[in-house]
Amino acid sequence: MDPYMLTVSEAIRQIREGTITPVKLAESLLNRIEKLEPTIEAWVTIHSERVMDEAEKATKEAEEGVYRSSLHGIPVGIKDIYYTAGMRTTMGSPIYSSFIPDYDAETVKRLKNAGAVVLGKTETTEFAVHDPAPTRNPWNTAHTPGGSSSGSAAAVSSGMCPIALGSQTGGSVVRPASYCGVVGVKPTYDLLPRDGVFPLSWSLDHVGFFTRSVEDAALVLDVLSGIEKPVPVMNVPPRIGLLSGYFKENAVPEVWTGFEQTVGTLWGEGANFTDVSLPDSFKLVPDVHRVIMAVEAASVHEDSFRTQRDDYRDYLKGFISSGLLVPASAYLRAQRIRRIILNDLLRLLKDYDCFICPASTDPAPKGLEWTGSPAFNAPWSLTGLPSMTVPMGFSDEKLPLGLQLIGRPYSEHMLFSIASWCESRLGFPRRPIDPITKCEP
Amino acid sequence: MSESDEKEYVSMAVESARQMWGNEELKKIREQVERTAKAVYTVSNYPLEAETEPVILPRLKEK
Repeated sequence: MDPYMLTVSEAIRQIREGTITPVKLAESLLNRIEKLEPTIEAWVTIHSERVMDEAEKATKEAEEGVYRSSLHGIPVGIKDIYYTAGMRTTMGSPIYSSFIPDYDAETVKRLKNAGAVVLGKTETTEFAVHDPAPTRNPWNTAHTPGGSSSGSAAAVSSGMCPIALGSQTGGSVVRPASYCGVVGVKPTYDLLPRDGVFPLSWSLDHVGFFTRSVEDAALVLDVLSGIEKPVPVMNVPPRIGLLSGYFKENAVPEVWTGFEQTVGTLWGEGANFTDVSLPDSFKLVPDVHRVIMAVEAASVHEDSFRTQRDDYRDYLKGFISSGLLVPASAYLRAQRIRRIILNDLLRLLKDYDCFICPASTDPAPKGLEWTGSPAFNAPWSLTGLPSMTVPMGFSDEKLPLGLQLIGRPYSEHMLFSIASWCESRLGFPRRPIDPITKCEP
Repeated sequence: MSESDEKEYVSMAVESARQMWGNEELKKIREQVERTAKAVYTVSNYPLEAETEPVILPRLKEK
């Protein structure tokens, strides 16, 4: 098997057994990128020479029996809003088109210290908001891969890297992961440091990441958080709260049908499902989320907006302008309602190991003009509760559909345990997809 | 909270945007201004107990 096809866990095993080296792995991934990039357009910057230097260093260390962590010698993609020392970081904006940071984001630093090899920077929507990147969905290149972490999701899905960092303020990790048929993780708010990640909305921004298996996701979280924990073994089937209401009303029929089929499969395997009625406050989520995000984004961009307004694309320009018009009392009121929503959900979660619902309202939309709706992910960005997705099946057009799991604060390893249980029963392929071109968008 | 009050609030926000950035710019940003203004109106009219504190950084529990 060509090394680019390996999951992280498989690659680690083979590196330790000496059947591949970090150099061979990096070469294989760079070849894959060279082959696919003209079609997928997932990358902003790649420094092949630097990648090979790092891979050689990791190979030498491995030959001497030095393994810096469970990610030693594993290449990673980094969303282009993470600062990378000496490597261009554009934020998907012409304003930063030639910006080269002189330090690494804390999460990038942790990956490098763990022996991971930074492969390059992946495409993002403009400042991780709405205006799309050029990236295409490997499952059908006429469709969006989702966003804002568009390049990261597409790169992991197509085997250009086994891990990629993303970020989520609304639905920018879980939704593209769902659209691209990979595992996406948005941990509890503030579990992972945001230092050196260009902000969009401080109180909603989350560091997240993509892999092709749940086992890999657990390895990545351990390195990023600095807290190594075993994923608990599920001795009894999980108690799962099934979210419908808002989610059923807003899902397109094939997503809801796919979700019900998945629930049926897992129920047949012994999962214990209970229908959960969402609290009344939940209906405020979209408005509360929008007010907070618009105001905080306006605050982040206020200075450059005065002098470089014309360098912003229309959606973001409108969004920032709208945030500048919000009264301070409305912003604080939104934060006060947020507390009510969070407390209501925490009370409900006490009786369950997790909640589940679809990871997106629809399969990846056709065209590259927009990256899809974050409606099913924003509630968990707003409340800071950990959420993740595993692929659950396909739409009528053979586009991936994702199952979303939501847990109590800091219960990521419990979520991994349940997600792994689901993953093994749903049988979605873990191998990279070769891009499928059906028609031009 | 009524539909006409909401419309009035949204119109006020649009007018503020027009005054700040002009007619030409308003054409490009109007949809976003209206959507945020609607959200503000909804949020502002949700009843709250006086002692409900805001979440500034939702640190959920000790690590």
